[in-house]
Amino acid sequence: MTVKTKRKGTRQSRNEFIWGWIFLLPTMAGLMILNIIPIFQTVYQSFFKTGAFGKGNVFIGLDNYIKMAGDSAVWQALFNTFKYTLVEVPVSIVIAIILAVLINQKLRGRTVYRVIYFLPMVAAPAAVAMVWRWLYNTEFGLLNHLRNMAGLGSVSWISNPRIAFISVAVVGIWSVIGYNMVLFLAGLQEIPRDFYEAASIDGANGIYQFFRITLPLISPTMFFVTVTRTIGALQVFDSIYMMMDRTNPALPKTQSLVYLFYKYSFTEGNKGYGSAIVVLLLAVIMVITVIQMICQKKWVSYN
Amino acid sequence: MRKMGALLLSAAMVLSLAACGGSGNQAGSSAAQTAETTAAGTTAGTTAGTTAGTLSVAIWDKNQEPGLTKILEDFTAETGIKAKIQVTPWEQYWTMLEAGATGGSLPDVFWMHSNEFSRYAEYEMLLDLNDRIAGSDKIELDKFPADIIDLYTWNDKQYAVPKDIDTIALWYNKTMFDEAGLSYPDASWTWDDFAEACQKLTKADGSQYGYSLKPSNNQDGWYNMVYDFGGEIISEDQKSSGFDKAGTIAAIEFVTDLVKQGYTPSYETMTENNPEALFEAGTVGMITMGSWMLPELCNNDYVKANGDIAVLPKGTETGRRSSIYNGLGWAAAVNTQMPEEAWSLIEYMGSQKAQQKQSDLGVVISAYEGTTDNWIATYPDFNLQAYLDMMGDMVIRPHSKTTVTWENMTSEKLVDAWTGARSVQDVCADIAEEMNSLLASE
Repeated sequence: MTVKTKRKGTRQSRNEFIWGWIFLLPTMAGLMILNIIPIFQTVYQSFFKTGAFGKGNVFIGLDNYIKMAGDSAVWQALFNTFKYTLVEVPVSIVIAIILAVLINQKLRGRTVYRVIYFLPMVAAPAAVAMVWRWLYNTEFGLLNHLRNMAGLGSVSWISNPRIAFISVAVVGIWSVIGYNMVLFLAGLQEIPRDFYEAASIDGANGIYQFFRITLPLISPTMFFVTVTRTIGALQVFDSIYMMMDRTNPALPKTQSLVYLFYKYSFTEGNKGYGSAIVVLLLAVIMVITVIQMICQKKWVSYN
Repeated sequence: MRKMGALLLSAAMVLSLAACGGSGNQAGSSAAQTAETTAAGTTAGTTAGTTAGTLSVAIWDKNQEPGLTKILEDFTAETGIKAKIQVTPWEQYWTMLEAGATGGSLPDVFWMHSNEFSRYAEYEMLLDLNDRIAGSDKIELDKFPADIIDLYTWNDKQYAVPKDIDTIALWYNKTMFDEAGLSYPDASWTWDDFAEACQKLTKADGSQYGYSLKPSNNQDGWYNMVYDFGGEIISEDQKSSGFDKAGTIAAIEFVTDLVKQGYTPSYETMTENNPEALFEAGTVGMITMGSWMLPELCNNDYVKANGDIAVLPKGTETGRRSSIYNGLGWAAAVNTQMPEEAWSLIEYMGSQKAQQKQSDLGVVISAYEGTTDNWIATYPDFNLQAYLDMMGDMVIRPHSKTTVTWENMTSEKLVDAWTGARSVQDVCADIAEEMNSLLASE
């Protein structure tokens, strides 16, 4: 009798095991073919002087990496990428939290607000960048037009090396706020109402409640958003590519690692060197993410 | 919750990595698209009951599509071979072609450019046309400019038939010239006269300037000045840089001086806006433009009312009036399913008849000798003759195997010269050194 049940249990668990894998298979296959294999191919390719059309590759060992170590443009681009990330991530998170808290109130027409804030996320990034490019235009742009009307001089928003990276980051922030906000909204709705009621009875005001109840309880969401946005910001490419011309004087101080990767791999056809750059980026992202995972113990509270 | 967080995180990691491979996927999908259209073309051909399928023809300029479609209709009427044009904008064209070449699904017939030709020829992606040209009674290579023939020759074999040529001319704003009391530019103008006119056209309040260009506008901009000043971009044997030549440096100093003296809009404005946009907005009085820009400029209402064309000024000391020129070629894929049909199409496009029609329809300036006279009738309101007059002293666009690499390097380094951050002399010395090392490793 006992033996029988045991065997039955085994069959059932084996069944579950098989079905589990069958359900996983489509995702696994997609991940393998589209992501994991290409990662290894990219790493492999970074050891070659590449020919064209996938032919004529010559193994050169670490030469691409040695060249990269001495290439000041790469290190400047890495620095630019950090600069961009340090502006984009904190600002977009702070604005998104404030908006999420405001929209989480019982507000007339709050779905409309949610839709409006989420819209930039739906628009194609290239189209967004084109519109901003025109807003920023030194000669014909709306921003400078308004400044001139107010009696102020024109500003070269995307050609001045000192402010171009901020202008690009503003586009990034604008595009991502809605997405962050929706995630924070989901986090906010998990917080039980009674916490706030109890706090109100104890006489805590709105701001005190925000810092003592809301922030700690959405810290897991905040951690998730921080990690994903940092990864996303470190890979910034499209807005720079669309908004800045190759001869833009601010480009050397603004171009990101992915921009350099694109330039070498696709414009100049040097895929080996491009791969080495993107492997550097992968390493940087991994290190930063691991550091964030370790640091989360200090500030993220899981109930 | 902790598990949930970890799960979300790993998902995020994976997603971000997927973004990394994004551009690769994109290239792959455009290859798939091309393959699909080719396949669709073939089935369409078979159902129509013709002997062969439909040739896919890839080009990048949508302005030329209507005219070329007409010529291809003649071709189909004459030979019974069907052909369909696919237009892919320049920025995506080379990604599409590269993906097609890597995946073995190139279009049957396509445009070739001197920047990219050597890679395609070296890796044997193009159909060898040598014997076919020799055996053809329609193609006479000596009717085409020898430079253009050379552009598409690799190891003494011809891989493309010349399609067109382009020249550069000076556009000016008649209204601004009248207002400044200047006489219109003509063949007697030197670059010094040009600089003087720039000064007179510039208004102190910043509403109007003399001239505009980008450092990346080389063929239609400062390259011409370099040769007029007695310099060169690359030596004739394509082995060494010309950026250490006195004439080259003088020409670049000439044009960057225009920027420094404020006869052009600020450098920032010039990199953010194409010169033609500034000309069409009435911000600048003169621009130098290639003949390929005609559909854009001649159809603009402001330019129609105010603009006209003259030949480029000549070198003050050398008296030289050069025009940097380039020409596209018709090439076919080495692995096309229909090599004979593809060759027929190229042969037809290179024949005197089709070349004549290409000029007559105003598509472009045809490469075939003596077919260009009717081209000027395309836009009768403008002095298109200036473009034909520029054919007197044509210099082939400087090129080598890695043109794109050193051209990009040059325009990036020149930014410092343009903004005045470093002296032209120093920047040119830098460019010469780096370009020579690039050329040595070709």
